[in-house]
Amino acid sequence: MIRLEDIWRTFVMGEQTLHALKSVTETISAGEHVSIIGPSGSGKSTLLNVLGCLDKPSRGRYFFDDRAVEGLDPDELAQLRLNEIGFIFQSFHLVPRLDALANIELPMILAGIARAERRERARGVLEAVGLGDRAAHRPSELSGGQKQRVAIARAIAMQPRLLLADEPTGNLDTRSGVQILDLLEELNQKGLTLAVVTHDPEVAGRADRILEMRDGEIIRRISATEFSAANPIFDRGGSGARP
Amino acid sequence: MSAEDTFRFAITALLQQPRRAGLSLLGVVIGVVAVIFLTALGEGARLYVTEQFQTLGTDVIVVIPGKTETTGMMPGFTGTPNDLTIDDARALLRRIPEVIRIAPISMGNETVSYENKSRQVVVLGSTPEFFELRGIPIALGSGLPEGDIDRGANVAVLGRETARELFAEENPVGKSIRIGEWRIRVIGVNGPRGTHLGQNLDEVSIVPVATGMRMFNRTSLFRIMIQLRPGSDIEAVKRKIEAVILDRHDEVDVTCMTPDSVVDSLSAIVSTLTLVLVGIAAISLAVAGIGIMNVMLVAVSERRAEIGLLKAIGATHRQVLLIFLMESLVISTAGALVGLGIGYATIHFATWLYPAMPAEAPIWAVASVLGLSVLAGVFFGVLPARRAMHLDPIIALSSKG
Repeated sequence: MIRLEDIWRTFVMGEQTLHALKSVTETISAGEHVSIIGPSGSGKSTLLNVLGCLDKPSRGRYFFDDRAVEGLDPDELAQLRLNEIGFIFQSFHLVPRLDALANIELPMILAGIARAERRERARGVLEAVGLGDRAAHRPSELSGGQKQRVAIARAIAMQPRLLLADEPTGNLDTRSGVQILDLLEELNQKGLTLAVVTHDPEVAGRADRILEMRDGEIIRRISATEFSAANPIFDRGGSGARP
Repeated sequence: MSAEDTFRFAITALLQQPRRAGLSLLGVVIGVVAVIFLTALGEGARLYVTEQFQTLGTDVIVVIPGKTETTGMMPGFTGTPNDLTIDDARALLRRIPEVIRIAPISMGNETVSYENKSRQVVVLGSTPEFFELRGIPIALGSGLPEGDIDRGANVAVLGRETARELFAEENPVGKSIRIGEWRIRVIGVNGPRGTHLGQNLDEVSIVPVATGMRMFNRTSLFRIMIQLRPGSDIEAVKRKIEAVILDRHDEVDVTCMTPDSVVDSLSAIVSTLTLVLVGIAAISLAVAGIGIMNVMLVAVSERRAEIGLLKAIGATHRQVLLIFLMESLVISTAGALVGLGIGYATIHFATWLYPAMPAEAPIWAVASVLGLSVLAGVFFGVLPARRAMHLDPIIALSSKG
């Protein structure tokens, strides 16, 4: 579903040129669950931004469903993000003044879906993430795990095909984190392609494939079995490897 | 994104900071109230003047000693023109066929006293025609005597206010009063007339014109009011008046004023004032607009995370622009509507306080101030909205939200 060919992302800061991505070539198939790991500054977030069409590569080609993304204008990119891609962030990014239901409605408002229909759909996804009884709660009245569930509900409200998550459990306690990962896994099993940036080996270990990055390059591609052999997890409920 | 959804979204955003939104709205309110109220006063003043002169009738000319055109000063202050006399007035009536009625007027300020009560009032010397020209009714006794206007009997018609203050419940008719040094017999009392052309006619006492001139020790009339046959050509009659005066004085040392000319010149003054007020109001609206811009710039920088999120979940540039433009538009429109309400309430209050003063906001002013303030919202909202639109979503998302 996604094909990256020789992707470079270069930032010029005065005299210095920083290569956040160096010749990244990768293919992600539909329905796959991929983790991107690596130390801070290794380029994993930049890669996620490129995948999410928020950032434009400086060089290289990006195909989303065989559509060349670099040829799309800003409105077409917005359209692509709206309809095909869902985002999940470490700090949730819920709009604080809107209740859970209204937050989930946001992308559907942008899409121009009529009020009654989007209410109903928002209620549906809120129930799907197990928060049917929290519709009228503001983010400040929700726990971290609940906030991330609302954010996931918002990300899947438009029924995207690609879900991008940047440290989805980074701000959560272990138990909520596991629940969120379970939820993401469930969505992935229903066919949603999933790419998760993390430096938590336990989070990464749930993926089908792990891409390890360093200095803007993918240095290793690891299968799930290899990865769990290298990162033994004794207790799934409380990994000591969390940062 | 439908307009209704954009509007709802703007409302939730503004309600999040109600005091801030309210204060920036207040700027617009003040501007709009200022325009509506001030133009209402200006328009009221114009209507007042027009109405006052219209009750004189359009076929009236007032002849004033002195010439305005030669010095540009107010008539009466220009050197020492020839006296304007009762004979002049009579000549005008006799020699100009369009003139059907004249009222020569002398005027002074005198102390009117009866027994131990006294009062300083305006005393007018005139003729019975004056009562008809100014529409003054007689409530008690009779008006000024008809007949020889040169002689001047020592009689007076008191204004009803003056009569009440000097005589209380007593009937003044036939009583003897003093006006200045003169002993005068009261022959009548005015009915109510109120303030007309800047004079409270209920307080004025009226004596025969010759009596007035003796009393005030004047040789010249204060002015002559002339009534024309309805439908006369006023400009032609003015020229005839000037011809008669030229013939008698060897120079045209009088000024002819018509209600129209007075209303015109006062209207010009009021219009200029109104324009100045509108200018001030426009400035205050601009200031209000800058206030909105400031508030929106703060909002954009505070809501970077939200803007980044909107972009990430698929908002187009245009949608982000419209969301923020809508907010400033809502502030300015709400301000305009609140200002409209308060403006009209203020006008009602003012006319309740001063019923004699008509105050009415002209439609053009109301429409343009509403239009301008709404436009100000859009105009001053563009910069913040564009800033939001151009925000890099990646940087915006990395800010705390």
